[in-house]
Amino acid sequence: MTSVSSFGEDERYAAAIAALGAGPARVRRFLEDDEPRAAWEALARGRHRADPDGRYRSKARPSVVESVEADCARAGIGVLILGRSGYPTALAADHEAPAVLFTLGDPSFIDTSPRVAIVGTRSATPYGLSVAAELGGGLAEAGIVVVSGLARGIDSAGHAGVLATSRGAPPVAVVGTALDAAGRPMEVQLQRAIAERGAVLSERAPGSAGAPVWLFAVRSRVMAALAHVVVVVECHRKGGSLNTVKRAVDRGVAVAAVPGSVRSSASTGCNALLVDGATPVRDVQDVIAAVELAITGRSGIVPPHAPTRAQTRGEASTAAPNPVAARTLDTLDHDPASLDTIVRRCALPVTDVALALEQLAACGLAVGAGGWWSRPVG
Amino acid sequence: MVADGSVAHAEVRDTAFVGELGLDGSLRPVPGVVPMVAALTCRRVVVPAECAVEARLVGGHEVRGAAGLGQLVAALRGEGPWADSSSTRRPLTALPPRPDLADVRGQAVGRRALEVAAAGGHHLLLVGPPGSGKTMLASRLPGLLPPLGRHDALEVTRIHSAAGVALAGRELAERPPFRAPHHGTTEVSLIGGGTAWLRPGEISLAHCGVLFLDELGEFPAVALDMLRQPLEEGVVRIRRARRSIDLPARFLLVGAMNPCPCGEGSIPGACRCTEAARARYARRLSAPLLDRFDLALSLGRPDVDDLLGGPAGESSTVVAERVRMARLVAATRGVRCNAEIQAHLLDELCPVSPDGRALLERRLRAGALSARGLHRIRRVARTLGDLDDAGSVIGERQVAEALHLRDAGCLRWQEVS
Repeated sequence: MTSVSSFGEDERYAAAIAALGAGPARVRRFLEDDEPRAAWEALARGRHRADPDGRYRSKARPSVVESVEADCARAGIGVLILGRSGYPTALAADHEAPAVLFTLGDPSFIDTSPRVAIVGTRSATPYGLSVAAELGGGLAEAGIVVVSGLARGIDSAGHAGVLATSRGAPPVAVVGTALDAAGRPMEVQLQRAIAERGAVLSERAPGSAGAPVWLFAVRSRVMAALAHVVVVVECHRKGGSLNTVKRAVDRGVAVAAVPGSVRSSASTGCNALLVDGATPVRDVQDVIAAVELAITGRSGIVPPHAPTRAQTRGEASTAAPNPVAARTLDTLDHDPASLDTIVRRCALPVTDVALALEQLAACGLAVGAGGWWSRPVG
Repeated sequence: MVADGSVAHAEVRDTAFVGELGLDGSLRPVPGVVPMVAALTCRRVVVPAECAVEARLVGGHEVRGAAGLGQLVAALRGEGPWADSSSTRRPLTALPPRPDLADVRGQAVGRRALEVAAAGGHHLLLVGPPGSGKTMLASRLPGLLPPLGRHDALEVTRIHSAAGVALAGRELAERPPFRAPHHGTTEVSLIGGGTAWLRPGEISLAHCGVLFLDELGEFPAVALDMLRQPLEEGVVRIRRARRSIDLPARFLLVGAMNPCPCGEGSIPGACRCTEAARARYARRLSAPLLDRFDLALSLGRPDVDDLLGGPAGESSTVVAERVRMARLVAATRGVRCNAEIQAHLLDELCPVSPDGRALLERRLRAGALSARGLHRIRRVARTLGDLDDAGSVIGERQVAEALHLRDAGCLRWQEVS
């Protein structure tokens, strides 16, 4: 991964101000009128206009400046300041743009590419995960930047799809935690891979532990502001992804949703969005059409190249290896079912069904996770 | 009384007295008569009348009962009768009927897992939403276990007597005990201990039987971690400042839990818990404890058609017979049950056929199975082979089923994406 911005005086003090733990709006007011260094000194003296009570005076110690700089240097984190060069223009135009952005990887490609946010629930079904991965991969191959949030479930699956392509548009991750925060091993691995191929953005200064809940809500505004189209793959009735949708609607960003089974709790949010007029998404083509519509007339953005749809999935043999497996396969559908349900549907002994499922899984006709089995999607 | 001459010395020679003397001269029953009497070497034992039946279980002593001090002195002098067993012996209460497996509608996989747990002594974890029948299944496990042998029965009776816990019928324990402590239980009452009087805990009371921990995640973490040593050794070592004691605690552990705080987490896409709540819930159970379970099932709610007049399944008697046969086969390997097969003997005792090996390899390569998990799968597959009378080599069929009976997602919570 490459550290982009050389760490100048402005970056140093802007990063320190971001590290004081103030909310995004306040950080913005801190840096609104003054140079970062002047703003910092005013804060340290308790004289800043945006801090009339001097609440940040005790926090603005010289050691903060040093430790944030050291943390950035250690993890290869860059700092972008609103209104300076390097800061993504797509985001700078937003009325709630973060005053300071911490970055891993080189984010310079963002302004010149069409961008789609893939969002959705953490508690996803195999259907949602595979659709997210398919969209991620297809969009990247069409030259569209996939923006997502690195959360478990749909977010991660979308990015995993991007990373699975050999050459595709670089991915962007917008995270709620600090870029050097310890996360789940899988999350850390994914973040590293994205930083290598694309960019990871965070408002949170390195060295800050955890993230307050509201930060996950406000980071969704960054995703919404960056995207030309927000695609919701799977979402519960009151899912957090709806927050991103709301931010997108506020900004006039197109919202698209993947329809799901009306019986699936994980699709209730998406289906409701479709009823409310969101663009339905069946495959990558639908998303690309929405992107083309969104970027028409905007200069400087390379339109996506139509994907080579010649790569129709090589139809794997759909023949089950033996009669018992065939009977088992007949009872499987795309909604995951527990072993118990499958045993009941087949009316066969547990042991026969267990063996049949293993045989089906071995030839790719069934997928199982945590005791739930379904047909592979697509 | 010998000293003041009310009883002659010869009349109390080689005699032990057990009981609590009330202020009114009555003799009251005390807990722990069985182990106390068993520890005595004298010829004759005098106990409170209510304890006479219990004391006789030990055998080898002349047991006499007395209701009060007056009767005791009279009987010792030969002037009156003992409170003879015939007068104090309670009518033998018939053992209460046990819940039968036939009552469980549907749940083919749950029933199969119970059978395997009983046959191989495999610890069982049931994960499912409220109302999926976890408790119903667990309470039917003791009925599948073979009745206790003479040695085990005496040991179980002794422990129950020491704890002052009545056994059904007040006779020698015949049935494997079933203990289901509430999750509010303290560490001491679960493991054993106490200051004035070292009392056996629930895990010792479940010796030779089933310990059912419902809502596993709600038990105090410290208490759960203390289960690990007895699970490994079959004995709990209670160490206190003033004394220490080893108590038998070889039990079959059945754990039940919700997959996550909202209870729906096992069904893909149905969980509505926040990330933090799930993480907190997952942290309550240590990975080493979860690792002790050979069988882990993800249960769904029973099917409506099954509940309303589906065919009744096999009865406990039928399944218990298969369990008995499987245990006999296991005994030929020099272990009490297959769960006790040592890891280094697995290759010799549980050889796997090439196609079974291929299945295991696929799971291992996919990262869905750990090395320790592999041992557990092989032991369970061994039990499946014994139950189905499938010969000495474990085949593809047994491996596949063993994999499916240890497939609850919660075992790999941290890695689930």
